[in-house]
Amino acid sequence: MDFITLGGDLLGVIPLGDIVLYLTPFNLFLFAVLLGFTVLIAFSKPETQVEAAKFNTLGNSEVKVGEKEFRQRRFLSIICGIASAGAMITGDLFNFTLFMALVGILNIGIVSAVKQTSVLNSAFNYGLIAMMCSLPLFGGAAIILAATGTLSLEILSSMPANPMVVFGAVLMLIGILGESGVAPFFASKAEMFRTPGSPFIVIIHLSSLFIIVRAVEILLLVLW
Amino acid sequence: MRIGVLWNKLADPKNIPRLFAFSLGIILIAGLIVPMALNPDQLYVKPFSQVQVDKGLPLAPYDRDGDPLVQPGNILPQFPDNVKSLGMVTGYMSPLAQFVSSVSPYFGTSIYSSPGGLIDEILYYTRGFDTILESSILMMSFIIASWLSINYTMNRRNDENEIKKDVKKAVNGSINLANEVKVNDAKARSKQLRRDN
Repeated sequence: MDFITLGGDLLGVIPLGDIVLYLTPFNLFLFAVLLGFTVLIAFSKPETQVEAAKFNTLGNSEVKVGEKEFRQRRFLSIICGIASAGAMITGDLFNFTLFMALVGILNIGIVSAVKQTSVLNSAFNYGLIAMMCSLPLFGGAAIILAATGTLSLEILSSMPANPMVVFGAVLMLIGILGESGVAPFFASKAEMFRTPGSPFIVIIHLSSLFIIVRAVEILLLVLW
Repeated sequence: MRIGVLWNKLADPKNIPRLFAFSLGIILIAGLIVPMALNPDQLYVKPFSQVQVDKGLPLAPYDRDGDPLVQPGNILPQFPDNVKSLGMVTGYMSPLAQFVSSVSPYFGTSIYSSPGGLIDEILYYTRGFDTILESSILMMSFIIASWLSINYTMNRRNDENEIKKDVKKAVNGSINLANEVKVNDAKARSKQLRRDN
């Protein structure tokens, strides 16, 4: 499939040597929304949660995010927002997988300073998945590169798919599924953001949502 | 197995990496039967295998010719408008690398002492894939190490609160046990009484 059917008119390309960015209304919209959300995050304060009372004490206990942790989390979530915005607009298969891996690492980083052990435990399990994901993500991109000789989506979209490309795309797909925590692999990622500090935690969810949308477009470009 | 049981198992974060590894393994095994062929239309023109080795070139199989900043190496750019600035440093080797390649015929199969040509070549072939892979694995190993330290290394056994909790648990447990024994005793007695009457 070409850009016109998927993303609307081709507004232009930004050639950066081997890496050619292309601009369509679809990509630009996703990019702008993510950047807007990142700016919102940069100026917001984290929410606090109220935990139910423990046994033998009356009253609820507040769970707050400390100043240091808040700063660290804000920094990481801004980087995460920028990385996923980059994944929205990139025109290079490898750069997409790179941004994707970066988003996965940052997601763990955002919750790494949380004090709830259950959250840390699921972050560890997610980390295991993210480590395994680097194989299918980069391996898939590498197999597509070996099969077609290019990573540029512009050229890939006009190339016919052969079984090797399909295999590369399937590998990439499972990498994306694991990294963004979709359907059967949701549990560890869903447990990860059961912790206070909402706007920063929500970027974990938002980045994977957007990346899934973009991944569908990229897989369609590669396969058809 | 009922499907509800299965969903409950999927909701446990502990099972997710195993499931993921299993499905990834299945896809990789399926990949064994996929026909693989390298596209000849690549950034670097790949010579037929063993040709350079048979010629006895020390840089085999990575020899690209070319003289640094004088004559470009043997490359095939993806975007032809970049052709003027590409391949000029493909043949570059550090003095140490030149020395090793003049001594050993197997220089091309190792990447030591070569900051220029060969590493550049490998990085270009993989587009930096290998470095990303390494650094992400390093990152994950740090995560695993920190998880281990939180869960095992931190000195919990001598923590006063932890001890108090454990004592409380043990006391509660023994009280429960005693209660249970009492109740069972009473039951047995009443049974015996009923039988006797």
